[in-house]
Amino acid sequence: MVDTRVEVQDLFDAYLWIAVAVAAIVFGTVGFAAIRYRHRPGREPSRKSDAMTAELVYVGILILVVAGLVTATFTTEDKVDAVSSDPALEVDVTAFQWGWTWAYPDGVTVTGNSDAPPTFAIPVDRTIRFTLRSRDVIHAFWIPEQRFKRDAFPNRTTQFDLDFDEPGLNDGVCAEFCGLRHSQMAFNVLALSEPDFQSWLADRRGGTS
Amino acid sequence: MSPPNGVAAVERAPSGPLAWVAGADHKVTAVRTAGVALIFFIASGLLALLMRTELAQPGLQVISEGTYNELFTMHGSGMIYLVVTPLALALGLYFVPLQVGAAEIWGPRLALSGLWLYVLGGAIMFAGFLTDQGSGRTGWAPTVPLATDHWTPGIGMDMWVLGVCLAVLGMFLTGLCVLATALRERAPGMTLLRMPPFTWTLVATCLMVITSFPVLIAAMGLLEWDRHVGPVFDSAGGPALFQHLFWFYGHPVVYVMFFPFVGAVAEVVATFSRRRFFGYSLFVISMLLFAALSMSVWAHHMFTTGQVTNQYYSLTSHALIIPAGIEYFDLIATMIGGAILLRTPMLFAVGFILQFLIGGLTGIIVASPPIDYHVHDSFFVVGHFHYTLFAGSVFGFFAAAYYWFPKISGVTLREGLGKLNFWLLVIGTNVTFFPMFFLGFDGMQRRIANYPASSGFGDLNLISTIGSFVVALAVLVFLINLWVSLRHRRPAGDDPWEGQTLEWATSSPPPRFNFRGRLPEITSFAPLLDRRERAKVTEAEAAS
Repeated sequence: MVDTRVEVQDLFDAYLWIAVAVAAIVFGTVGFAAIRYRHRPGREPSRKSDAMTAELVYVGILILVVAGLVTATFTTEDKVDAVSSDPALEVDVTAFQWGWTWAYPDGVTVTGNSDAPPTFAIPVDRTIRFTLRSRDVIHAFWIPEQRFKRDAFPNRTTQFDLDFDEPGLNDGVCAEFCGLRHSQMAFNVLALSEPDFQSWLADRRGGTS
Repeated sequence: MSPPNGVAAVERAPSGPLAWVAGADHKVTAVRTAGVALIFFIASGLLALLMRTELAQPGLQVISEGTYNELFTMHGSGMIYLVVTPLALALGLYFVPLQVGAAEIWGPRLALSGLWLYVLGGAIMFAGFLTDQGSGRTGWAPTVPLATDHWTPGIGMDMWVLGVCLAVLGMFLTGLCVLATALRERAPGMTLLRMPPFTWTLVATCLMVITSFPVLIAAMGLLEWDRHVGPVFDSAGGPALFQHLFWFYGHPVVYVMFFPFVGAVAEVVATFSRRRFFGYSLFVISMLLFAALSMSVWAHHMFTTGQVTNQYYSLTSHALIIPAGIEYFDLIATMIGGAILLRTPMLFAVGFILQFLIGGLTGIIVASPPIDYHVHDSFFVVGHFHYTLFAGSVFGFFAAAYYWFPKISGVTLREGLGKLNFWLLVIGTNVTFFPMFFLGFDGMQRRIANYPASSGFGDLNLISTIGSFVVALAVLVFLINLWVSLRHRRPAGDDPWEGQTLEWATSSPPPRFNFRGRLPEITSFAPLLDRRERAKVTEAEAAS
């Protein structure tokens, strides 16, 4: 089981701290140069105009940084992109202007749109397989709490796994601009314990809410 | 190769109203291009102020969702197609011929037609506001099927598509002329490896212009065909195909809007550090590498589609760290050991280096697909690209404007107003755009007029909106500076900054064919610095 939220957050934190360190070095160096090498009467600027060896060493360091970042990214992406062979639950998600339909096994479907955003339940701590498609234009399925989004295209499906490790409500939105009511194409994902989820599903079996 | 003098005798310049449509002096064409771009800058900026006003609080207060969609489309497409690209290329149009010692641009009438196509395209795009169903309203980077006739009907959208085609065609022609000038019109002695850093950045820029801009024209042409003739993109792979075509232009254009300002900043940093630009040869290689790589990163805009090989585009995108790192090294190494004068152009150049850095570093963050899964199409990305395009390119533009205005107009801009302009812009930029990183990471998606009060996004949005009005104030100070400086003229002289490149060896403004009499001897990429250094040696010898 892969926790997308943790994987992405960890990777983001690593990138962020490297970025902060680089920013500190550059701000520091520029600040130093601007103060230390201010123009003063009698100061002659340096005539030196390159330092090829130093710069090539620096390029070597840059290449190592690139290699390190790419390795970290690929490792995380392999985990996040992987789809499990035996998910606990499979849900078919259809996006449309401007709402969502989730089709659960046994014919339970839940639909809602910008007038009445839907709430979809899933069992907590289980691998959920999502199969995502669009009925019309491109949309994007984004659950910020899970640090994950995927685009929904018409005429094709895409699959991904998510695992909600905390019970409670997650906000979901459409992230790909899709026309007039794009901003209101929201949904909620309610992570329930397995028994609560089963009774939620049973309440809806045989009908559509 | 025209000699720098002696050409004037054979050409009669058109005068009167005819000069407006047929005057082919590259300097006039460039100033007009920049002038039109400034008008579109103000127009697109006012649209942004309206958007920020709407976003200041949750709920809809000022404009409707439909209007907001038109505004963000016209703000983004205005700024990219009609402001920053033309400003970047106008700098090249004016200064590349001067820097390589040419009397004229290659293809002056082609460059002039570039201006008119651009003006026409921009006017058509904005005229869409006057139509019943409104202007283009699917973003600066439209998607299919949303942008097809079925989902976004109306003549305003068609005008947007065709206007973009014309404006991009115009800038393609401008880029072609600038490239040909650097390659074909150089003065004797001006070898490729004696071209100044700015000219090299324009060569890299225009190589991207001529390879990527035609693809956008094709993509938009096919979109228009799909809208009114017959289906083009309605297969299962069609929507992704359109994105590939679009971003094959859409990524390189980001660097088209960036490189010329890197070049301008390189000239400013060298001039105001009173020394030769550091690491020239690696800088030239890095610009060419940068341009080449930029043609192979486009699908990093499509990581969340699940339809591209993310690893490949992530690798090429990360590799951009190498040329970008070389640039930063050279810019900062030029300052270290210099004798730095912090005049307004240099302030903006240092501002560019530090402010763009935030855009560059967040760019590396979004080059990682798993992170992009979260922040793509969120305000994090909006913050990121405004740090590159606004905190980067616009700061670079101001550095270039304060640096070269004396050459173009013959008068210097006011230093006090320039410093006020700079500090207001620094404050406004960061107050506007920094909160966006938090908003996006916390879940605020792009292209929304409204967000629920329960989201807690209200406070940061209010701060961002206040910042945007400080940015507007900074731009106003710049316009006042232009007006005051042109009204109460303080003559600049030929070379107010101790420039290093050939544009400073002619009068301000330069004559019709750029140079009178003989050019200084071209011994390196900084011929005027060479001349000053030789004079010092002679002086020292005479004294001893």
